[in-house]
Order: sequence, then C-alpha cells, then structure tokens
Amino acid sequence: MNTRRIASALALAAVLGTPAFAQDRGGILNFARYDGSQLVDPIYADRNPDIWMVGSLFDTLLRLGADGKSVEPGLAESHELSADGKTVTLKLRSGVTFADGSPLTGTDVVFSLDRARNGDLSSWAGLIGSIDSITADGDTITIALKTPDPTILTMLATFNTAIVSKAAFDSAPGATDQEKSAAIFAKGGPGVGSGPFYLCGFEQGATMDFCANKGYWRQGADGKPLPYLDGVHFQVIPDDATRILKLQAGEVDVAEFVPFARVAELKADGKLNMELFPSTRIIYSPINVRATRADGSPNPLADVRVRQALNYATDKAALIGLVLHGAGKPMSSPLMAAATQDSINMDPLYGYDLEKAKALIAEAGLPAGTKITFTTLAGSADDATIFAALQQMWAPLGIDLVVEQVDGPTRGAKNRAGEFDIHTYGWVNDVNDASQVVGWLGHTPTAKAVGTGWEDATFNSLYEAAQTEMDPAKRGDAFAQMQKIYAEAAPLLFMYETPFAVAVSKQVSGYVQTPLGANVFEEATVSR
Amino acid sequence: MQSLAYIAKRLLLMVPTFAIVMVIIFLLVRLLPGDPAIAIAGDKASDADLAAIRERLGLTQPLLVQFWLFLTNTLQGDLGRSILMKAPALGVILDRLPTTAFLTLYAVTLSLLIAGPLAFVAALNRGRWPDAAIRAIFQVGLSMPVFYIGLVLLTFLAARARLFPVGGIGHGFLENLHQLFLPAMTIALYTSAIVMRNLRAAIIEVLDAEYVQFARAKGLPSRLILGRHVLRNALISTVTLLGLSIGNLMSGTLVTETVFAVPGVGRLMLEAIFARDYPLIQGLTLTFAVLVSAVFLLTDLVQSWLDPRMRLT
Repeated sequence: MNTRRIASALALAAVLGTPAFAQDRGGILNFARYDGSQLVDPIYADRNPDIWMVGSLFDTLLRLGADGKSVEPGLAESHELSADGKTVTLKLRSGVTFADGSPLTGTDVVFSLDRARNGDLSSWAGLIGSIDSITADGDTITIALKTPDPTILTMLATFNTAIVSKAAFDSAPGATDQEKSAAIFAKGGPGVGSGPFYLCGFEQGATMDFCANKGYWRQGADGKPLPYLDGVHFQVIPDDATRILKLQAGEVDVAEFVPFARVAELKADGKLNMELFPSTRIIYSPINVRATRADGSPNPLADVRVRQALNYATDKAALIGLVLHGAGKPMSSPLMAAATQDSINMDPLYGYDLEKAKALIAEAGLPAGTKITFTTLAGSADDATIFAALQQMWAPLGIDLVVEQVDGPTRGAKNRAGEFDIHTYGWVNDVNDASQVVGWLGHTPTAKAVGTGWEDATFNSLYEAAQTEMDPAKRGDAFAQMQKIYAEAAPLLFMYETPFAVAVSKQVSGYVQTPLGANVFEEATVSR
Repeated sequence: MQSLAYIAKRLLLMVPTFAIVMVIIFLLVRLLPGDPAIAIAGDKASDADLAAIRERLGLTQPLLVQFWLFLTNTLQGDLGRSILMKAPALGVILDRLPTTAFLTLYAVTLSLLIAGPLAFVAALNRGRWPDAAIRAIFQVGLSMPVFYIGLVLLTFLAARARLFPVGGIGHGFLENLHQLFLPAMTIALYTSAIVMRNLRAAIIEVLDAEYVQFARAKGLPSRLILGRHVLRNALISTVTLLGLSIGNLMSGTLVTETVFAVPGVGRLMLEAIFARDYPLIQGLTLTFAVLVSAVFLLTDLVQSWLDPRMRLT
C-alpha cells in the first residue's frame, strides 16, 4: 500500500517535472483598447484601430521578418523577383485553408490583389500602383509590373495586400464590394480570412471577439498550430484613466496607449509588465516656409536660418523629460524613425545650442518680439506641455510664441491650406519602407512637404528616382542624400520618437505591438 | 378628445421647428473647419486621395444639391451612410440609443430618489442644521466637474472596493442596473443637486401658501397635507425643471459615456464630430432634437395633469 503510494507520487512528480518547455495553451486574453474597429478589411482599413487588426484575421503572401527590415515567406512559401525587376513569381504554400477549412487558392490571390489595387475601392491602391497584372496557374502566382518597383516585396507583406476569400465575397449580400465587405464583417465567422484568428463577435463601439483559427498554418513551439490562445476579447475604453483602472482591477489583461505620465507608476506595480515597444512613431512640428503667411503678411519662418535657430534652441532632452517622462529619444533622422529602413543616424540632429541659435537669429535680422503662432490640439496635455516649454526655450531668441488650439480635423485643414506658422504633428509608418514617410514629409507633389510648402528640386528628383531604383545600395544612397538635404533646410521642428506604451498583466506573455503599430496575438499566452 | 386635439396641434407646431433645425444642422457641420476626407484619410493621404474621397462622398456637389438630398432622404427615413462606421447612420444610432435612454432614465430616477426625500427634510427643517448640511453637501456636488466625480467613483467603488465593474456595459435589464449604476450615479449627483434646490424652494413656498395654512387650521393630518397639497404643487416646477434639463442630461452623457466606456449616442456624437462624419452628426442632432421635443411635449402633458389651470391652452 505504502510502496504503491510512493510509486504513484513519483510518477506524478515525473509527469509534472518533465516538460520544462510545456506550452501554455488556451484561455481568452482580455484587451482594453483606446478606440474600436469599424471594419477590418485589408483594403478598407483606413484608421489605425482597423489597420492594426488586419494581420490577426488575414494573412499576406509574404511576412515582415523579426528585424522589421527583411521579408519572409508567408502564404507564399517561396518568391522570386526577376532580374529586370518587372516580374514577381510566388509559389503558394500547399494545404493552406481559410479559417472555415475551405482551401485558399490562386483564384483568391488574384481576386484579393485586384481588389487591393483598385483605386475606386481602396485609398491604399497607390502603394501597389506598379502592378500591371496578376495571374494564377495552380499554385504559381505571377505578378507583372509596369515598371520595376523596389518596394513590391515589402508591399506583399503589407496589410492591404492580405488575402480574402473570393467565395465569401461572391456569396455575400450587397450590390457593391463595400456593401459585401460590411455584410461579411457584420456577420463575422471563419469564412473570409486565413489569419490566426477569425472574428466571432462584434458590438459597435463596445466589444470585439477573435476566436482561434484551429487550422492556422504556422506552428508554435510545441509543434501544434498557432495561436496558443483560444481567443481575444476586446473592450473599447476610450478614457486613459478608466482603461488603466480596468487593468488594475484585474478585469482586463492588457491596456494599450498608457499615457507617458503614468508609465513610471505602472512600472512599479508588481502585477504588471510596463512594455515600451519600439515604434516608427515620430513627433515633429511642420514649419510654414512660404514667403508670406496665408493672410499675406511676410513670414519670418521663410528664412532657413530662423528655422535652424528654432531647432538649435529646442532642448529635446528637456522636452522628452517633460512630455514622455524620459520614455523616448530625440529624432536621429530628419525624415523618419530610426527603425525605418534606410534611415541614417545624424544624432545629435540639431543638438541644443542656444548660442548658435542666437547667432543665426542675429544673422537673419529677426526683430525682437516677433510673434509666431504655435497650433496645438485642444485637450492634449502633451501639446500643452510642448507649447509651454517651447515658449520659454525660444524667448531668449526674442520670439513671442502664442498658442492656437484646434481639434484634429481643423489642424489637418490648416495644414493643407498653409494657414499656420508651426503646429504639432505625428506619424507612424504603415509600410516598412522609407518611401511612404519620405514622400509625405519631403516630396512636394505628394503633400506639399507635409504642408510646409518646402520645395527642393534635387530632393524631388532623388525621391522620384528612388521609386524605381532596384539596387538597394543606390536606393539607400539616394535616401541618405535626401535626409541630409532635409536636415539642412529644416522645414520641421525635429522633435522625438516615442515607443508604444502598453501595460500587460504578468499572467500574459508573448503579446507584441510591432513598430508599425500592429497588435500581434499569434504567440501570446495567458496563464490563469 | 380635447387633449388629443391639443397634442395634434403641438405636433403640427413641431414641423417648422424641425425645418429650421435641419437647415441649422446642415450648415453648422459644414462650417466646421476640416472635412470628412481629411478626418478619414488623416495625415497620410495625398491631395489626390482627398479629392477622390470627397468625390466619392458627394462633397463636391453644390451645397444646395447636397441639402436637397439630405432633406428628401431624411423625409424618407434615410439618414445616409455613416462615413466613420461605414454603415447606415440610422442603424448605428438606433443600435446605440437604447443604452443612452436607459442611462438617462436611470439617472433621472436616481436623482429623484436622492433629491425628493432630502428636499422634504431640508424644507421642513428650514434654517436648522439638517437644512444647512444637506444644502452644503449638494453645493459641493454641483461645483465638481462630471468627469471628476466619475473618476472618483470609479477609483474607489469599482477599482478598489470592487463593488461595481470598471466601465463597460452588460446584457439585460438587471445586469445593466448593476453595470450602469456608477455612470447613472455620476449624472444623478449633479442633477439631484439642481432638483433638490428647486424642490426645497417649491416646498417652502407651498408650505407658506394660504391654502396650506388653511388646511392646517382645518386640522387636516400633516401626512395628508404634505401628500395631497404640498407634494403635488411643489412637483409642478420640478417636472418643468427636469423637462427643461433634458438637454443638459444629454450633454452630460457625452462626458459620462466616455469616462465609463458606455457605448451610447453621447460618445457616438463625440466620435462623429471628431471624424467630421456629416451624415452621423446630422442624424444624431436630429435624433436629439426629436427626443427633446418629445420630452417637452411630455412635460407639458404631465404639467397639465398636475395643474388643471394649465390645461388645453
């Protein structure tokens, strides 16, 4: 009797002790979001809360590597770019299915990419504007390009080219593609995507549920299909303080977008991991460089020396301390976050130097008491702090900085119309390539160089050449030159990069927010 | 019969009101700087993208054409497609409306339950310490911002004491009585302060009125005097006050629903404005206008029932 008991105790101990790598599986992760999704469809996702969820429900042909700079096989197990750069040939992974078990075929790929490049449907169509045609022959997909496109492989790893089921769209109610998409999303269910999860619940503005795709093609550490979780339950909690309270009360496992002022406090909380995920988010302020302001008066900021002086007189370390409580770093490239491909390190970019700033102001002959308006977002504590700091930092230059508070769309309209002196702005890359952000910030025909009106012929032609330059080294050189030209011209007040601050319960591991912002639950686990 | 005619007359009078409301809504949203294209496409769109979005949304048509479409569609019950939600605006609003209606009624009920008894206690003890204490406490409630009261309640009663969930919404009536208690209480604390002050003053006025003095002199029991004469007459002005503050209550939900993560029309309005979602803003404003008019009508009816002198004029 006694020996038996000992034997069974030993057996039990052996079972419990063996697999040190036993994988946590199952469970629902509760996630508090700052804003809700409206329609998670690869081509209609135009707001971050939609874009950042596409990858959970859908798969792309290629995937971004962990370093964020290379591409890896995705739904396509191999890919080849022809020597002339005008043909991409991909081979589909065999046996991949949508979450309902129906096979994913070349027909779905052609349908999805044709949808994605249709400018009447998607505002992202321009990203793959180089595509001339897509054809499928069995498992082989051939993409013919009008012109060589150095970004095409990256674009095939970007959310808007994710694959949807043609059958799901064919059978969905609705006259137009958009109505069909809305109907599919409203109904939910596993038939439309092949991602690690499928949508299994949605209440507008309140909650959203993802359920695991049991037949997902990627495998976990235990050799079984990912994801580890049974599902994710999202709750929309727009108020920062409430979202954090919800986490502290244990009602959710993750709270995203933690205000930087709260980071230190949550770091000290023994039940939480305060994650600061590296991001491609930059905070900067466009400076109007036009010779005259919108009201016709002369614009002191048209003088490059004044813009340089403002940059030298701005103590970035102090700003980071005040606004981010230390959780950030100064911009080291004038055109992009350091994590972006082809960024160059120019640190310190306009390191704090008040004497140099004063000298530049004197050289430009700026009269003391010059009034400059700084436009901020009403209700933004960060913007209010930035304004107060800049007002003091620039006072020694004889600048009288006054504030104008507006809401987001008003700021956008002022930017487009050139009706501003300087205003706050931010950016996160949607695409893992420098061309998107550089086009926005510097290329005049795209967006008037982020509304500043800055124009440089050399810069523009370098940018346009880089769009078709297939030699990575030459393309990198072109971007390096653009960054140097842009830094010198200073059409922006170069400020800082911020991480994504996410507070995560210690019961959770493996949750990631990528530098592009995407929420990744594929390898997340929760132990209760 | 007569009262039906009265209601019909009141409803007819609403027609010109709504015509004016519709013109104002239509012009007001378009006077805001920024447009839906900028709000949708955000920082990243090129000027060409914006032009395409404007074209797609019909924003490039002349204002008069846009207004005519808005008017005729609305009269056919079509509020247009919400740009933000990518779904019919009417459906989105009707989805969210019950939540806000529940929260508002809950808040009104709570404020009457709080303010009613305390107003009586204060009025009957006029000038003595219970009166002073009650008024002082409500003064504090009145002077605190709604979102602050909300956060304080959340921190102590929900996150610390775990008596209530931290924000969100439940399913079914009973679950929501529990789930929405804190947001309703937040609104009620503010509203009850106003109601209490008004009701107290009204009760005092009625208590001093000659007919009450007369009833007392006749030797009627106090309970009867308070119930039949004082309460009924004091309620007249309180009903008016509550009816008139429906607008305030609704704007209170804008803040409360955001702090407590309640998916109602108040929060929807904020989201719609920040997205310059013209159809949704128009639809919501129209909905608010209908509700306010309905409540005003209801107030008048209740008033005429309470006070026969006001009937049928």
